Amino acid sequence: MIKLEHVSKSYQLGDTEVKAVKDVSLTIKEKEFIGIMGSSGSGKSTLMHIIGLLESPTSGKVFVEGKDVSKLSDDDLSRIRNKTVGFVFQSFNLINRFTVLENVLLPTKYSKDGVDFDVNVKAEELLKRFGIYERRNFFPNKISGGQQQRVAIARALMMSPKIILADEPTGNLDSKTGSEIIGILSSLNSDFGVTVVLVTHEHDIAAKAKRRIYIKDGEISQKYI
Amino acid sequence: MEKLVKNISDLVKDALSDFARSKVRTALTSLGIMIGVLSVVLLIALGLGLKNYIEGQFQSMGANLVLVLPGSGFTGEGGGGFGGQGTIGGAKFDERDVASLKRLSELDYVVPVFMKGTTIESADEKKFGYIMGFNEEGFKLMNIEAEAGELFTRSDVSAASKVGVLGNTAAEKLFGGSGEAIGKVVRFEGQRFKVIGVAKKKGDSEPDNAFFVPYKTTFGSINPDKTFWGIYLGVADESMIDPAKKKVEETLLKKYDAEDFSVTEQSELLNSINQIFGIINSVLIAIGSISLLVGGIGIMNIMFATVTERTKEVGIRRAVGATQKDILLQFLTESLILSVFGGLMGFILASIIVLVVRIFFPASINLFSVVITLVISSAIGIFFGVFPARRAAKLPPIEAIRYE
Repeated sequence: MIKLEHVSKSYQLGDTEVKAVKDVSLTIKEKEFIGIMGSSGSGKSTLMHIIGLLESPTSGKVFVEGKDVSKLSDDDLSRIRNKTVGFVFQSFNLINRFTVLENVLLPTKYSKDGVDFDVNVKAEELLKRFGIYERRNFFPNKISGGQQQRVAIARALMMSPKIILADEPTGNLDSKTGSEIIGILSSLNSDFGVTVVLVTHEHDIAAKAKRRIYIKDGEISQKYI
Repeated sequence: MEKLVKNISDLVKDALSDFARSKVRTALTSLGIMIGVLSVVLLIALGLGLKNYIEGQFQSMGANLVLVLPGSGFTGEGGGGFGGQGTIGGAKFDERDVASLKRLSELDYVVPVFMKGTTIESADEKKFGYIMGFNEEGFKLMNIEAEAGELFTRSDVSAASKVGVLGNTAAEKLFGGSGEAIGKVVRFEGQRFKVIGVAKKKGDSEPDNAFFVPYKTTFGSINPDKTFWGIYLGVADESMIDPAKKKVEETLLKKYDAEDFSVTEQSELLNSINQIFGIINSVLIAIGSISLLVGGIGIMNIMFATVTERTKEVGIRRAVGATQKDILLQFLTESLILSVFGGLMGFILASIIVLVVRIFFPASINLFSVVITLVISSAIGIFFGVFPARRAAKLPPIEAIRYE
């Protein structure tokens, strides 16, 4: 469903050009659970941002469901992010001035085609599923890290995306909470058929993924099938 | 449609929730606009009040009035001073002019008017007022009626009797009431006059503070030249104004040059005065607008700070599907609400001040001020909000989301 062809990304850092991603070609199929592994600075996060259409590549092409995204406008890219992609970040990235429930509802505000479900019912269902319904009127900075990451997953699922992109989702959590979060992500894949791309530097977490890709210095170094 | 309403209400709710968190900052930001709108609305109100006041004064004089004034009147430069002696160039009218105008059949009344500001004294009190010399027809022409006593007559004029009619306010101040003034003596410029009547209140400071005397009585030490500052003419009805003006001009041209006098009807005069007020008002509003500008810059400043503060939030919103337009609208809504809120506060404050000022001065707020308030404050909100909002909208999502 997402295909990268010879994708490179470079930044201008002062006078030097930093190549974060070098000539990566990659196909993510529907209902896959892929782990992208690499040490910090390897370019794995940049790669995830390109997959999630948050950044555009310097060269190469990205196809989402067969469409070349380089030809899409900001509105179209935003629409795909809204409907098709759900993000889970290391630092949760919740809006602290909104309550848990408001955070989960946020993507529905940007749905341009409207939604065919009751947003409040769905938000409450998700919060109940992840055991944070009682915290729905709390502000994110008043709940634990594990709970915040569940809120972030609930938000990512709000628009029923086809793919969840998780960037070091356990990075700010202790190992027990971290493995709970990974459990949630893998059940999304196995029980609900959501494609999951999990970016991590931890081998035991990547081990949960059905396919693993190793990134080193911006390049794919090994593929496991 | 329903979606649009929901979108707008979401935007407003978002903005308000942010204001609720930073009340002091919101209040201070709006303050700039508030002061700007306050000053503009107040200036409009005072300008309008002044205009109404002057129009009222004109209407208190009789209708169908044609004024013969020295110089080129109010319509051009070097016009004769209003309320003064008209000494700045131009004709000095005398009794012969009055006599020749009286021969015109188009005119119902011909009233020579002499006017001089001076201190009028009673036995115990002193007051600044105007000595107005005219003939008995002046009362009809200026709609002056007696409240106590009586008005002077034609024979008083021809006999140059030392009698007069006191304006209502002057009578109140000098003698403590209109009844009390009758039969008493007033003094000014070394002359003694008997008060035979007190005029009804006109609500107009000039006639209310005047002492009306037969014009012939002023000849002598008060008016040694035996001249008049103007001649007021009354015609039977409006249709007579134009033919009468023409005849009067013809008559006076035999003696004076065209630029030495002017024949104007009230409405022309009013137009000229309105023009002057229009200019004064524009200048005042321009000054008020400077504070609006400063207020707008304040909003822009705060909005830039808000955008920086919420960079991460912008990134998050972009990640979950907000378009650049969504972000732009979000911040524009905030600046719009800030400035409209300030505008409304300024308007309310201005209304309260106008209500208080009304006790002393006929200031008034009209629909125009309301419209101006809303239009100007929204325009400022949008104009000064658009730069910060654009900056927010153009933030690259991933840089924004990493911003701490």
